[in-house]
Amino acid sequence: MTALDAVSVYVPSTRVSVESLAGSLGLTDMQVKLFRRFHGLREVSRDPDASLYGLLMSAAAGLDALRGQEHRVRYVLYARTMPVVAPYPDNPLHEVCRALGLEHAIAFTVTHQSCASGLLAIDMAGRLLAADAADGRGGQEGPLALILSGEKAFTREAEMFADTTIFGEGAAACLVSAFGARDRVLAYASNVRGEFDSPTGANDARLQREYRPSLAEVMRQALDEAGLALNDIRVVLPHNVNVVTWQRMCLLLKFPRDRVVLDNIPSNGHMFCMDMFANYQTACKRGMLRQGDRYLAAAVGAGGGATFAAMVFEH
Amino acid sequence: MTAQESGIDRVFQQRVTDTMIAVLATLLDRPDPVTEDMRLMEELGLSSTLGLELLLELEDQLQILIDVEQLDADRMRTVKDMATFVADHSQPA
Repeated sequence: MTALDAVSVYVPSTRVSVESLAGSLGLTDMQVKLFRRFHGLREVSRDPDASLYGLLMSAAAGLDALRGQEHRVRYVLYARTMPVVAPYPDNPLHEVCRALGLEHAIAFTVTHQSCASGLLAIDMAGRLLAADAADGRGGQEGPLALILSGEKAFTREAEMFADTTIFGEGAAACLVSAFGARDRVLAYASNVRGEFDSPTGANDARLQREYRPSLAEVMRQALDEAGLALNDIRVVLPHNVNVVTWQRMCLLLKFPRDRVVLDNIPSNGHMFCMDMFANYQTACKRGMLRQGDRYLAAAVGAGGGATFAAMVFEH
Repeated sequence: MTAQESGIDRVFQQRVTDTMIAVLATLLDRPDPVTEDMRLMEELGLSSTLGLELLLELEDQLQILIDVEQLDADRMRTVKDMATFVADHSQPA
């Protein structure tokens, strides 16, 4: 069963306020107020001096469990919101692999599900590793996969989405095994909704209407697959789109708001595909998860269609 | 005490409704009159974001703070539904 053996998160210490971004993003006073008052975004993590390579390496540097195990890593998956993040021929993923001594690994990017690509990468890594183990590949110790995520907010599209969220910079690194003891993946559900891909924005209003019910639906699908009910879930790790969306989700799901990890939204913003990892780390630091607890990570990838995804874990 | 149970709250609720109708007309740039039984999304085309802008304007104009944590948009179909919610879930700023 797919397991997250170790997670490392790096968030730059520098922050920029929503007000200071108003000029470059063309935000009106009303939009700034909306972000602060309802969306719960006061500032976002940004480090203009850090490169994408630097962010990813900072996350990998905190992954102690990787040291000495590099030879076991068969796959490096970079889960990304944006399809393109560096000009050709630069490839930060391959640079990171070289620096970490992982040139032997098969390295590729998982994208086109926007911010839901992180959960897809976990599922994909688990399936690849399980197939290798079934084929007898990977050695006696068992193969591993390294998942990287985190991006630079380097264009307007990568800075803000649909007046509902502002992106923050950071990176996460996660070591995945096929049969590890913790944190085990119990179920994964994903609904790709291509009908929301409209260059004219004709379906934007429909997406707004169906956003929360669709997210609730995929969460229930994942719970069904795990054989669990929402009551069995100790903690929800949300995507950091904004606070008001999750307040409304809690009303819709009748789930206690204090068990949804919203701590990082006001100070970090929506950190692309790495929210789940950052929120997992916060939940652990706050003592919200005990051994055996079940928790659920949820994400929506919107932009060029929409993907609703949820994954259930056991700590 | 809810708006239905209190005369004072009913007066406040009417103030909320009147202010909301005026704000909606401006926000939606709508020449035709807005009435309290109109459906917010289907008839007025109010998006989630504009709905939040509406609440912000109400807070500013009425000098109140709305308890948005209790906001259940799915149960607020009409202008009157939302005015009732605001009257019941707000306090002086």
